Amino acid sequence: MTAILQPGFWVFILTMSGIYGIFTLGLQVQYGVGGILNFGHVGMMALSSYTMAILVIAHGFNFWIAAASGVAVAALGGAFLGLTTLRLRGDYFSIVSIAFSEIVRYVIFNSDGLTGGSQGSLAIMPIGDAYPSYTDTWDTILYWIRDHLTPIFGEVADRDMAMGILVWITLGILLFIVSRVERTSWARVLRATREDDDVPSALGKNVFRFRLQAVIIGSIIGGIAGIYWALQVTLLSPDDFLTIVTFYAWMILILSGATKVKGLAIAAIFFGFLYGGTRFFTFWPFSVFDASQRSYMRIMIIGIVLIVLMIRRPQGIFGKREEMVLE
Amino acid sequence: MNNLILEVNDVAVAFGGVKAVNGATMSVEVGSVTSVIGPNGAGKTTLFNLISGAIKPDSGTILFQGFEIQKLLPHKIADRGIVRTFQGAKVIKRLSVLENLMLGAQNNPGDNLINFFNPRARNAFEKQARERAMALLKQVGIERFANDYAGILSGGQRKLLDLARALMAEPVMLLLDEPFAGVNPTLVEKLLEVLHALRTEHHLTFLLVEHDLETVMNISDRVVVMAEGRVIADGLPNSIYENQAVVDAYLGTRKLNS
Repeated sequence: MTAILQPGFWVFILTMSGIYGIFTLGLQVQYGVGGILNFGHVGMMALSSYTMAILVIAHGFNFWIAAASGVAVAALGGAFLGLTTLRLRGDYFSIVSIAFSEIVRYVIFNSDGLTGGSQGSLAIMPIGDAYPSYTDTWDTILYWIRDHLTPIFGEVADRDMAMGILVWITLGILLFIVSRVERTSWARVLRATREDDDVPSALGKNVFRFRLQAVIIGSIIGGIAGIYWALQVTLLSPDDFLTIVTFYAWMILILSGATKVKGLAIAAIFFGFLYGGTRFFTFWPFSVFDASQRSYMRIMIIGIVLIVLMIRRPQGIFGKREEMVLE
Repeated sequence: MNNLILEVNDVAVAFGGVKAVNGATMSVEVGSVTSVIGPNGAGKTTLFNLISGAIKPDSGTILFQGFEIQKLLPHKIADRGIVRTFQGAKVIKRLSVLENLMLGAQNNPGDNLINFFNPRARNAFEKQARERAMALLKQVGIERFANDYAGILSGGQRKLLDLARALMAEPVMLLLDEPFAGVNPTLVEKLLEVLHALRTEHHLTFLLVEHDLETVMNISDRVVVMAEGRVIADGLPNSIYENQAVVDAYLGTRKLNS
């Protein structure tokens, strides 16, 4: 029970919530506005984080250029997925999108020379003798922030706290931008395509273009989450990008009420606490089970909470009930 | 003759073995109201879908203002000025009535993501379009629902919304798919009044699809009758009444030797 009292633990939970929040925001644009069911979102995160890591470690790129390239590759991944499969009807797109993210993961897993394969980013061949970590530039910033936090927070201020602050500032900025984008007529057309293709196209709107743009924007945001993920875990492994990660984001999206952007941050924290906090359920009746059994129970508890929420509040915490009952 | 705005030449399309439209030829004059009528399964709606680009023909050409449009995608055809309404009226239920109308606004700078960084242009257009949309809602008489979800509208109100939204796109030619089907007599009056105003004030061209002659008799300049995928008659509304082929199509042919 001691870990639960450590501020560092809660900082960690908040940081992970923030990264998941950014990641989910990409889905929000695609599904919440455009009704596009993307189940392969984690693939974009994998593309950006690995691109960044490889460029820094194996090619000595400046971190910022590498990070921008990572996000650009995620955008290209989104464009590729969209151009090849968006013409498929809703559910079929979802199936292909899962395949897309799994292909990305398997390619990473099996390209030992390029990505370090199953050993992760540690096994990427470095350019010189000294092993450059892709977090070096970022750490300089984090330590600079930490030094400014110490007078306020004392001992508690550390690298992780600085990271958490930067993640949440990024999420805040992105939430602001996306909520603005969602007020444009571009988003209005996209919301129309969620229900029907014939009406917008009869009014001169190129439905495919709007959908493709939504997928690419979502992928860019997913790519930004990928950079933060890489910086947070400091070592990438193909296992970081399992399909379950996409579904965690879906949980957050459903919790927040998919059509409204404002609940997303709170839903992300809620999910973070459920996911991280439930590992401290060591008291009775959970004490009956051993640690490995409890780790499964954690996921079960998340599942139960989601089911109860779906029954009691199908529109999510902040969604609009009216939108669900219109026929 | 250059006052033809739409020319459909020998168009055919088959779905599997069914020849839904089988060599249809017809034309529409600028500023006229032309009605396509015919019994169920005559190919009227298919013809409509061909003109609006929802279906591509197997053969034949469709000319709008002299340009071939049969290979264009629906949104490109809409860009050229052919805007349609839908059978039974389609509304976007989870957008407000006003937002439904705003969808119709053409060349909206806000539709282009680049203009996210140009809020002044977006907002100016939006403001102007909103005023026009409110005026149209007033014209069709559903302005009091402007901020409600379109999903709450009744069937008749949805028809009015569908029509107003099409008008929002400032069409050159309006395609109306069964505008009077399932509409009460008062609303028919209302629709006719709106159509009449549009015709005299904006010189719009109309192409209508309806089931029977009765409904379109008084408003049509020309009536095209379809049966089994072909145009079987084409002329002034009065002349259609006396056309033997039309009577046969509607009532069935009497087979003497059966």
